[in-house]
Amino acid sequence: MSKSAASGETLYIQHFGNEEARSLDYYLKQMQGYTALKKAFGMKAEQIIDEVKASNLRGRGGAGFPTGTKWGFIPKASQKPKYLVCNADESEPGTFKDRDLMRFTPHLLIEGMVIGGYTIGAHTGYIYIRGEYTREAKLLRAAIDEAYANGYLGKNILGSGFSFDLTVHRGAGAYICGEETGLLNSLEGKRGEPRVKPPFPAQAGAFGGPTIVNNVETLTAIPFIVNQGGKWFASLGRAEKSGGTRLFCVSGQVKKPGLYELPSGGVTLRQLIYDYCGGILGDKKLRAVIPGGSSAPVLTPDEIDVVLDIEPLMKIGSMLGSAGVMVVSEDYCLVRLIWRITKFYEHESCGQCTPCREGCKWMKDVLWRIESGKGRDQDLALLLDIAENINGKTLCALGDAAAGPVLSFVRKFKADFEAHIRGKRCPHAP
Amino acid sequence: MPTCTIDGRQVEFKPGENLVEAAKRAGIEVPVFCYHPGLSVVAQCRMCAVEVQGIKKIQTACSTKAAEGMVVLTQSEPVKKARESVMEFLLINHPLDCPICDQSGECDLQDNSFGHGSAHMRYTEERRTYVDLDMGPVIKKNMNRCIHCTRCIRFGDEIAGIREMVAMQRGNNTEITTLDGRPLETDYAGNYADICPTGSLTLKDFRFKKRAWMVKKTATVCEGCSRGCNIELHWDHATVFRTLPRENASINRYWICDEGRFNYRYIHDEQRVISPVVAKSGAAAPGWPAAVVAAREALRGKRVELLLGSDLTLEEAQLIQKFAGDFFPGARLSHFGTPGIKSTSDDGDADKILKRKSKTSNLHGMEKLGVPGFGALSKETTGILVFRAGRAELPEWGGVAAVGVGVFMEPQAARFAALLPSATFAEKDGTIVNFAGVSQRLVRAVPPPGDCKQISEILMMWANSGRAGGAS
Repeated sequence: MSKSAASGETLYIQHFGNEEARSLDYYLKQMQGYTALKKAFGMKAEQIIDEVKASNLRGRGGAGFPTGTKWGFIPKASQKPKYLVCNADESEPGTFKDRDLMRFTPHLLIEGMVIGGYTIGAHTGYIYIRGEYTREAKLLRAAIDEAYANGYLGKNILGSGFSFDLTVHRGAGAYICGEETGLLNSLEGKRGEPRVKPPFPAQAGAFGGPTIVNNVETLTAIPFIVNQGGKWFASLGRAEKSGGTRLFCVSGQVKKPGLYELPSGGVTLRQLIYDYCGGILGDKKLRAVIPGGSSAPVLTPDEIDVVLDIEPLMKIGSMLGSAGVMVVSEDYCLVRLIWRITKFYEHESCGQCTPCREGCKWMKDVLWRIESGKGRDQDLALLLDIAENINGKTLCALGDAAAGPVLSFVRKFKADFEAHIRGKRCPHAP
Repeated sequence: MPTCTIDGRQVEFKPGENLVEAAKRAGIEVPVFCYHPGLSVVAQCRMCAVEVQGIKKIQTACSTKAAEGMVVLTQSEPVKKARESVMEFLLINHPLDCPICDQSGECDLQDNSFGHGSAHMRYTEERRTYVDLDMGPVIKKNMNRCIHCTRCIRFGDEIAGIREMVAMQRGNNTEITTLDGRPLETDYAGNYADICPTGSLTLKDFRFKKRAWMVKKTATVCEGCSRGCNIELHWDHATVFRTLPRENASINRYWICDEGRFNYRYIHDEQRVISPVVAKSGAAAPGWPAAVVAAREALRGKRVELLLGSDLTLEEAQLIQKFAGDFFPGARLSHFGTPGIKSTSDDGDADKILKRKSKTSNLHGMEKLGVPGFGALSKETTGILVFRAGRAELPEWGGVAAVGVGVFMEPQAARFAALLPSATFAEKDGTIVNFAGVSQRLVRAVPPPGDCKQISEILMMWANSGRAGGAS
């Protein structure tokens, strides 16, 4: 795995792969550990929120919502206990950045969460971690124990009078628990099903209290912002509205897959694939790229000169999402790929709302029919219609996540589907 | 009241009301499956799609609160397309067994399919099927017909107070079932069938007895306890087939208990006494004139007390009071009904939902008429005249001569010298007063069976049989 640093300054990647980096000792000595926390205790909550707003930090989980604005939604007058929840469910296929952040820099997350808790007035924090991340959960717990033992968590942290408890909660293996209200239900011990919004978590989230849910990468940026200022953090980014660096998870048929930390909006997709990742495996032709986790609509080779950031990708009808870049070469069957992606969403649909529960399975069945050579001429129109009937009409974003890829694959790679239907077999099949 | 615009009409709404309810005020029906006014809003079925001006995405009317100046479209093309697609999604796995489905004719899925769906079917894959376990004596389940609206889950959780219906598995395989497949425990289980929008949960009691459109409906009141839940009796010819709750926000909301729901069964009980009975007469059917005479004779020269079931109507009780004054001057009247409950102060909630401790309907009415609760017969009493509708529990009266008027079962007949059969709550009109002092009307649905007569008529015969020319 290559973990090359980018031309700009990096915050995390230099510590990845270093087993010692996760200790409190390393964190204190090499990473100015917990100095941001001390500084934060001398600031007012509004000042911290202003810094976060100035930093142009946007949610790294997928939606890209400005973090400072989100924190500002917490009602100050509420008498109910408030909660800060870290979404470490990282279940979007093609995404593996939070795993390394928790594995190598767990104290960065803890410090970010204590500052976050202090800012929004929460005294309880949860890290909802993906069930399969057993090793990371263990490492996080060890780091939390270390932090408790040294007074960075618990009662009266660093003599500030502020108390904050942090608990690691392991998920049970459902993609939908990465959706913030599904996550909160699961955290409360209920079925992992998204809730109707409004109310939004900031009004009524975990256990009915005002709650902020942030991604791991979002929270680990907080200590840097507090220490070095929102303006400095914003200057790390190359785009107007996106600050900081961004961890790109590159997978698929490239020569050097792995994590790349690059300035937000600093590179194009072409640069990432050909300059950083060394091009396509075996110097084959590029066929397609999924730029932001499997729920992002697919891009053709003609579209890869797009700058990898939220707005430019949205402009061409895709999304940056969780920055999980999946590269597909000419060797792989795109029909089989979209069938496999749809199968994932069908499997992960929670089943509560009609279009997603019924539609994902239907799309999967039709796609499999096409892939296995039994497709019919009318199937493409049917697929598009089913996907349109799901898109934007479901309770949570999982419906869109399942429909978007199907729409984009069928529209952009129609010839591939038609080849399957006319030839009555998959051209890639042996 | 604030106003919004729905389909071009100005609609006033109560603050906090959702668009389904607001539209209702204007006479506009928004189709729903998962929404139920008595349950929490989950916005799962997506059927109540509407367009709200200024919002790009289709909104669900159930989860959107009406707001001042809001402009809503319930019939636009995008809305129609969204509803048609929801109908298609719901029907791809739904069996086409309406002809043998008990829900047919009162099925939301059927109605909404007709109103909003397409007659064309594009689904060619295999349908999803489930194996059902028995859900106990009240409800028959057919999971294949389920549309996953989760009304039953929410009813158990939010109203019945027991989380026994749950969703198992997930996604396309989601199964709505009882926890661990156990039978239902709640004694409000019948409501599961009422709120189920399809034939997935149906009443075992009503199954295959009558098509929904063949019954006649009479709005009346339950006599099962002192709450007086509003109900609808469904009947045909002289037979009652089922009881359904009728919405009344201040008394029973949308629900009734199983005891009240199945209370009607005794009307058609084989053991019900439906022609006059005279003990020791030897005659199998003495007929009314002889029976009335026998009843009079049994109490002739006796010191009589009158016992009134607190399940009688106000009108009946008043008539009996007048009758007692004329025929048994000075006789004591008292009411009986539920053991241990002598007065309204003994009555109270029997659970946290609807049931009351008094198992008769008109305890409070009896008190209003000044009839005291029955304790024991006075020592001088040598005869009693007992009036009872269907539910008052007969007290002990030892060996005194007894005459019964009202609704009785065969095993009870042995305690009476004469029995004069009368009408149940479904067979008469009258007024009952519930625990909160609300007077409500019983409305006759079916005629009394056999030779049963109204109490008023029986008292008239009693009065007339003493006149000249009457048998003696």
